[in-house]
Amino acid sequence: MTMYFAKLRYYPGDPLEEIRESDLKSFEKEYRVKISYEKIENRETKDGLLMERTLDKRIEDISQEVIALSSDQEDTFSKCIIALYKKYRSPRTPYSLMGSNDAGQKIAKKLMNRHGGW
Amino acid sequence: MKPCTPTPPQIMERRGLNMKILALNGSFRKNGNTEILLKQALMGAETEGAKVEILRLTDYRIGPCRGCALCLFRENVCQVQDDDVRFIFSKVDECDGMILGAPCYFLELTAVVKQLIDRCWILGHKIGKVEKPATVIVPYATRGWIPYVSFQSTLLLNLMGLTKINEITICTQGISEVVLDQEAMDLAYDLGKEIALAIRAKDFTYHGDLGICPSCHDRLVRILQDNETIECPTCGVRGNLSVKDGKISAQFEGKAWAQSRFRPDVQYNHFTYHIAPSKDYFLRTKEERKIKTEKYKEYLKT
Repeated sequence: MTMYFAKLRYYPGDPLEEIRESDLKSFEKEYRVKISYEKIENRETKDGLLMERTLDKRIEDISQEVIALSSDQEDTFSKCIIALYKKYRSPRTPYSLMGSNDAGQKIAKKLMNRHGGW
Repeated sequence: MKPCTPTPPQIMERRGLNMKILALNGSFRKNGNTEILLKQALMGAETEGAKVEILRLTDYRIGPCRGCALCLFRENVCQVQDDDVRFIFSKVDECDGMILGAPCYFLELTAVVKQLIDRCWILGHKIGKVEKPATVIVPYATRGWIPYVSFQSTLLLNLMGLTKINEITICTQGISEVVLDQEAMDLAYDLGKEIALAIRAKDFTYHGDLGICPSCHDRLVRILQDNETIECPTCGVRGNLSVKDGKISAQFEGKAWAQSRFRPDVQYNHFTYHIAPSKDYFLRTKEERKIKTEKYKEYLKT
């Protein structure tokens, strides 16, 4: 049985709307996938702007919101990703799927081109 | 005869006598339409007390960006040291306002403008830069052959930290023929006066055709794959199209401006979260890349 696991890393300004855990719970229920959410916030207000030095940081440690989803069903996994992309758009950078497994990454990446909202 | 006493600096500034206006000419032709229109605009600016200067970009060496990313990862270091781009950027830094002129040959501005755009990585994002006005003059030959001229000038000016306050396109063709079009010459002259007045008033309100995009005022629209959303390809602001009584209308939500890629905070996020962290990924994948790129090194070697 193939396990599909993807991590979608959204950086400040990337999601089309605020990511709410309550919305993710609804997706979890509707598509019968497992979803977890993590928010990393390292920005500090400076000159009225939220700022952060990211140049020499690990990708996983900079400010971001990570939606992780997993399923053993390709169909529901794909449909949930499409729904997430529709709501938030797909993540944007080449490393925004870092931490996904190969099967999950392949699907998440393929769907970006068709449904990513860009 | 009464000796002439020097004007105090504060009064000079108030009258705009210290303002410097730079014209960048993106045309190779000497005394061609672009140069004539730029000079006409500078003459207009001079009547408002501006000191003026013009640079023909093709007189300077503007090499291609080498894509080394040192300017991003080592902060403000450009590997291309043997050309004149730093000089051009220093001139832009010194001026209080700029007029960009470039002809349109094939749908867009000349290659030298794009070459300069690519070199703007070194300028980084806009935060901390002094806001200055700029205006644009584009001579072109055939109506309908200029769809991409506005986006290129918007991009260059924004990367340089300049705010576009107007833009004119002039339909003219053969070398120096524009002098036969008094209306065009008057427009250029007024454009020069306008930028000088904007500098003096510190008012950088947009004076040109308001267009479609609420941010850059261009009329280009991209229809996204959902076939529901439109986007200004230059600014990235999003909205919707509708047709009423046969008229196409583009609506952009109030929050559209918040998405504009030229807002300082959006630019900051782009550099901070999309560009800078790629260094970590690059370093992590070093060994894997080394192995996988091996076979390309000798293949069709040039």
